[in-house]
Amino acid sequence: MPTLMINGQPHSVDVDADTPLLWVLRDILGLNAAKFGCGIAQCGACTVYVDGKAVRACNLPVGLVGTRAITTPEGLESADPVVQAVKSAWVALDVVQCGYCQPGQVMAAVALLRTTPNPTDEQIDSAMSGNMCRCGTYMRIRAAIHHAAGELA
Amino acid sequence: MTHAFSFLPAKRVSLSGTVTLTALLLATLCLPTHAAHASAAEEGTPGNTPVERGQYLTHASDCEVCHTAPGGMPYAGGRAFKIPGMGVVYSTNITADKQHGVGAWSDAEFVAAVKQGVSPGGKHLYPAMPYPAYSRLSDQDVRDIRAYLATLPTSASAAPKNNLRFPFSIRSLMIFWNIINGPTSAYPDDTSKSAQWNRGRWLVEGPGHCADCHSPRTLTFGLSSSKAFGGNTLNGWRIYNISSDPKSGIGGWTEAELAQYLSTGHADGHGTASGDMADVIGHSLRYLTPADIQAMVTYLRSTKPVSTPQDSVTFRNVANGDASLPQNSRGARLYASACAGCHLPDGTGRQSSFASIAGGRSLGADNGRNLIQVLVNGTGLQTATGVQIMPHFTGGGLSNRDLADIAAFVMTHFTTAQPHDLEKQVEQTVKERD
Repeated sequence: MPTLMINGQPHSVDVDADTPLLWVLRDILGLNAAKFGCGIAQCGACTVYVDGKAVRACNLPVGLVGTRAITTPEGLESADPVVQAVKSAWVALDVVQCGYCQPGQVMAAVALLRTTPNPTDEQIDSAMSGNMCRCGTYMRIRAAIHHAAGELA
Repeated sequence: MTHAFSFLPAKRVSLSGTVTLTALLLATLCLPTHAAHASAAEEGTPGNTPVERGQYLTHASDCEVCHTAPGGMPYAGGRAFKIPGMGVVYSTNITADKQHGVGAWSDAEFVAAVKQGVSPGGKHLYPAMPYPAYSRLSDQDVRDIRAYLATLPTSASAAPKNNLRFPFSIRSLMIFWNIINGPTSAYPDDTSKSAQWNRGRWLVEGPGHCADCHSPRTLTFGLSSSKAFGGNTLNGWRIYNISSDPKSGIGGWTEAELAQYLSTGHADGHGTASGDMADVIGHSLRYLTPADIQAMVTYLRSTKPVSTPQDSVTFRNVANGDASLPQNSRGARLYASACAGCHLPDGTGRQSSFASIAGGRSLGADNGRNLIQVLVNGTGLQTATGVQIMPHFTGGGLSNRDLADIAAFVMTHFTTAQPHDLEKQVEQTVKERD
């Protein structure tokens, strides 16, 4: 019965070590912001952080997480300047269309800006290329990341 | 006898010219059938009871991987071994079932099968069963393995019949093969070396039978001793050079990296085991004690260096943490969308250390042979915390050309390899896919 540290809170869950983290988050703990998309770590809709690093929860067995800190989209601190900048850029540029992939997009964008505060187009394209958007909002996502980077500068 | 012998191309066999075939035959007939005295190297096997020792030795000998059909019951046999030009051999049921397994055999019969390759009724086994290596186990070791197998569930199903071309279908031909290639026997400790080295040699050359895959074969399908651990190509995979050569083998790895790789299937800076090696880690090596892993490392680092250009890879310095990838080729764009999700642009792995491909030999070795195998067939590794899967990428949205372009990008981005004809190789690998 692994104990997981999720958004700063310990959660004991009765699952096999093989169970993907996303199943635990959505089905057992009701944390539904991370979405199920492809199930094979190809689309990025399920992106969460493990020790601050963006990972695909659909393909990550909980046994491998151990006691490392998990952050879901619910756990993004609004007071965090990077989170704040990304959220307001997303609103300012009206990035979202259907919205299904957007929790993953926001998680990936925040992670990118934390390591690369002023990314080039090329850095945005490769960092975000693991996050699919069937509505094709890619150009607005790229612009919004530049916008957020400008706000933070 | 001469006639039968002519089926085997004996020309390349490296025998001393002064030894005549007759003398060899006589020597073979005089092979000791009793147990050679157990060496000090064997004393490290943990376990308080025969069953506990047997369980450890069954893991160390990796019996399960070969004696289990894909998805089948453990030890019930039925895994196919395709031998080019000869046919198919199936592994047998070694559960304790009295009719289809080994339950009705005497201990002596079981020992003879494992160590000499002769099963009850004088039936000669094919050397897909590594009895020349297992002959280094003591009779007591083999009886302990049997004691452990007897505690497991039995299977009342027989393995499929072998499908071998004439003349390989004649089992007694193995008498001649054995004269040339094998069974050796337990050997005394090398007193000039440490106990740890001797234990390592025994584990590597005995139960571990590493050379069965990692050494090239002679023309008579014996193991090459001159190029021992110099790598081989089996079932379309490159089995890498694990000699002590710093460029082609494992001479450039630290002891800690080797120990991490053997005990978990991954070493930081060297990638993750895939294909058959993933099975060897998952079903065998990860059960060994740290002392035994260290002993194997000590021995492997002492082997004669063998140079093999196809296993030598020069890595490019890809900046750690660099999130940008060139977007100027199909392969680069495909890698960004299909691979970087787990492996990250710099190859250091997003999901877990197992997804770190940085420094893996398959990124550049042997014109992408294993890289393409992994893309086409996928691979899985059993770890202490669940199975790690790399999915295959055939039959989905990616064409053969896409996979070839991804492979070409990976090879040229992470290493200095100069790939050629990759699409043909992808096509061939897809065709051979079961």
